[in-house]
Amino acid sequence: MSIARDAGLTPASALASDSAATHEATSGFANTGIDSSLLTSSFDSDSRGLVAGRWLGWRRRALVVLALLGCVGLFTLLRTLSASPHIDAGWRTNANGQMVLDSAGDSTLRAHIGETLVGVVLPDGRVLPPDVLLARRSPRWVIDDLQRSQQLANGAAYSAALRDGSVHLKLAESATPVEVRTLTRGYAGLGSVFWLMTALALVFYLTGAVVVLVEPDERNLLFGLTALAQTTHLLLIGLDTLPGFDFPARLAHLDLWLRVSSDVITGAASVHALSVYPRRLPFQGLIAVTSWAVGIGFIVTVAFNPIPRLWWWVQGLQLSYFAVGWLLLVWSYRLTPHPMAIVMRRLSLAVLGILLLLTLTVALSQGNADVQRFAAGPGSLIWYVFQASALMLVPFLSRSQQVMREFTLLAGISAVATSLDLLFVAVMPMSQFTSHTLALFLALGLYAGARQWMLNLLMGSNMLTTERMFEGLYRTAREIETTGGDHTEHFARLLGELFEPLELGHTTRSSPGARVLGDGSTMMVPLPRLPGVPDELQPRGSLVLRFARRGRRMFTREDARLTDRVLEQMVRAVAFDRAVEQGRNEERARIAQDLHDDIGARLLTLMYKAQSPEMEDYVRHTLQDLKTLTRGLAASSHLLSHASAEWKADIAQRLDAAHCELDWSFEFDRDINLSVVQWSALTRMLRELINNVIVHAHAARVTVSAHYESGRFTLQVSDDGAGRRPDTWAHGLGLGGIRKRVKLLGGEVHWRENGPRGIRCDIRVPELGERA
Amino acid sequence: MAVKVLIVEDNPVARSFLCRVVRESFSDTLTITEAGDLESARRQINLTGGAQGLHGVDPFRLVLVDLELPDGNGMELLAELSQYPATKIVTTLYSDDDHLFPALQRGADGYLLKEDRFEVLVEELQKIVRGQPPLSPAIARRLLNHFRDSQRGELPDSGFSRPAELMTSRPVPIEKTPDHERLTPRENEVLTYLSKGFTIKEIANLMGIKWFTVNDHIKSIYKKLNVSSRAEAAVLATKQGLV
Repeated sequence: MSIARDAGLTPASALASDSAATHEATSGFANTGIDSSLLTSSFDSDSRGLVAGRWLGWRRRALVVLALLGCVGLFTLLRTLSASPHIDAGWRTNANGQMVLDSAGDSTLRAHIGETLVGVVLPDGRVLPPDVLLARRSPRWVIDDLQRSQQLANGAAYSAALRDGSVHLKLAESATPVEVRTLTRGYAGLGSVFWLMTALALVFYLTGAVVVLVEPDERNLLFGLTALAQTTHLLLIGLDTLPGFDFPARLAHLDLWLRVSSDVITGAASVHALSVYPRRLPFQGLIAVTSWAVGIGFIVTVAFNPIPRLWWWVQGLQLSYFAVGWLLLVWSYRLTPHPMAIVMRRLSLAVLGILLLLTLTVALSQGNADVQRFAAGPGSLIWYVFQASALMLVPFLSRSQQVMREFTLLAGISAVATSLDLLFVAVMPMSQFTSHTLALFLALGLYAGARQWMLNLLMGSNMLTTERMFEGLYRTAREIETTGGDHTEHFARLLGELFEPLELGHTTRSSPGARVLGDGSTMMVPLPRLPGVPDELQPRGSLVLRFARRGRRMFTREDARLTDRVLEQMVRAVAFDRAVEQGRNEERARIAQDLHDDIGARLLTLMYKAQSPEMEDYVRHTLQDLKTLTRGLAASSHLLSHASAEWKADIAQRLDAAHCELDWSFEFDRDINLSVVQWSALTRMLRELINNVIVHAHAARVTVSAHYESGRFTLQVSDDGAGRRPDTWAHGLGLGGIRKRVKLLGGEVHWRENGPRGIRCDIRVPELGERA
Repeated sequence: MAVKVLIVEDNPVARSFLCRVVRESFSDTLTITEAGDLESARRQINLTGGAQGLHGVDPFRLVLVDLELPDGNGMELLAELSQYPATKIVTTLYSDDDHLFPALQRGADGYLLKEDRFEVLVEELQKIVRGQPPLSPAIARRLLNHFRDSQRGELPDSGFSRPAELMTSRPVPIEKTPDHERLTPRENEVLTYLSKGFTIKEIANLMGIKWFTVNDHIKSIYKKLNVSSRAEAAVLATKQGLV
């Protein structure tokens, strides 16, 4: 169990809107608000529990010693119980509610099978009726003080009667009491429920011991203490379930005090623990001392003087402890939005509610002996099991032990159902059947609702829909595919959308998979290796997410698993994209190759066989267009700077051959990746323009100047040739082609006379964006 | 004695066209041998003494090789002829660096683009034979990357602080430089300008040198490329146990 110490984390309240928040959180990797020492401490303390090697040493030995102590204690108890005197007889209840002897081990008694029991004759001649004897339930749950002392006295008297080795039973059909010899109970006579409760108690004891030993600090010691109190409770409940009338006399006196102490200690320890965890509250010392002072004072008082209205006092004290605990959690969450605070707040509210309900039921059923007996017996039993299981759940909440969660839920709902059932019978004039049915339905409804509520609590009420998750996945994969550089940001954004953490940071630590730290407040996600990304660009280290869903939800192991799977899918999607892209490129290259080889060779032959220079030139241009086309197909993109260099070299060579001077200037504010369409359009436009100058204008000087500035592209080609009056030109293939390509780029083209001689062509493309 | 020329080209029309170009380019008496595929080209070379060993008394002085041939790629022939004393020229339709760069690496002394005009081809061919091979911006870029990579691999601190006499315009004899894979700063500069689309005249102006000096640099770069790739191949062969 590891809990991140309070490190004075301030939730980034400035993170208002989702997108802004994620952006802000992701962009500030270098100096994130996450305290690295906190991360380290939680990381280390967590690994302490996980690394088996560290367990070797004093912890293991201490655990063995504690387990042995527990077993020895249990054995002593069992020995005492099995040695206690016992009437070897079986009873059944007849239609009138009377006890009828059903079976007997004793030969004298066997003659009386079928007879009705009137009572047990005490040495002083008093007869204890069977219903008094059967009311063996804990005195802790008897409301009336008088009744309680009566019960204790009766128990003592009965034990005294048994101590002599024989007991006198008064049977209705026999005139004189029958003397029966008592036997020792033996291990077999302890009853199955007792063994079950004992086993449960032992489990509790060991769990408490393990938690304490893993990290023996204040918080865990408190947990151990509560676990011990619950163990005591379970053992006492086990004693209640012993079959027959008998109850070990020596324990009867201790029983009341032990139960009261356990209840009070549980309450006081809870308040103390909640003042330390999830965060250390202001005035923590005061809170802890007060709660212990009240509790210990009460326990001591009960031990030495009988307190009037004891039951009310105990219930009141317990209820106030839980209420205070709840308030502490509310306060704690206001100070630090640790998701654990929310979960525990709700859990404590459930505990408080169920205890209140049970108290109410028992109080209201005061007049009805049957109901009260049932409420104080099985009712309180279910309550204790619920309380114990809820307590056991706490350290494992973030580990998400599903079985444990469901068990607690079931125990809680059972407690509620029982209480409601009894409440209906006690308060409203309802038949047993009606109340049972009603309680059952209510309980079922409650179970369905509470289960969802509980799951939401852990999973988050509006978890990202699958649809949005896929969208995010796909988008991130595309982003990784299209943009280079560091991909950490993309992963951060994806995880940010998935979990909406209050804090999102980066650490250089790495681990084999996503892990939950700090009791569900933090999750550490190692960044995956991406396929086809060079080593130096691979994302490194891990992302650290704290306080899921803006601190309203805790990370569970399922979350870690989900994250691992999401990232795995992500990597797969990227790999798939890469493969598709590669396939597409290969296909394009193949088409280009075929076009080039087949059509190119034919055009070449055609060119060599051309009848006239015009025809030859025409075919040559076609061949050049084909080459441009196939090159465009083969390469996916061209840098503007590279393209301009090639244009320059090509034009310079051609003009040189035509004995024409070239003034070339090409300026751009940033280098962009031209798409195939843009590249081929610009290449062919330029070639056509220069071709016109060479073939038609017979110019001596050509000026080409191009500008690319914030997305705007302008190109001017002017010559001092023979061309005039461009408005009268016939727009053949060449000029038409230029117009078409300029339009394709979303621009416009104008030809005008260039001063005294020649033509000037202006091309303007307002938006020549990247991958437009 | 007639100068022997070998033209390897599968398209008969193109072959006769190239013959015309070659005859136009040189005033010497020429004996032109034509080959339609790699096999017959190899046969012709063997007749003159073989690609390796002694090249006989009268080897081909000029070899024009088409890249796309029916029974293979002209690049194979170039690789075989790496020790052959002829001027080797690639004639191709492909003007992109992806196709030309490997050819240059295999020892081609220059390239001709088949779709160029007759006059242009004649001029280019003469230039190559004179030692002024063409170098397009794309290929210059490839060359820069090639030498930068091999330099980075060999020497962490670049060779820019070399003695002054080695930085002269003349190409450095290979035997004297143990690291033949490095470009001189001047060569590097020339390549950089070429990759930006400057013409040789412009580069000469920019660097304040004569244009034929620029050409010398280019020739030297060509040689270094060939030598470096041959050295690479040798290292590779040794590693694979072929030698």
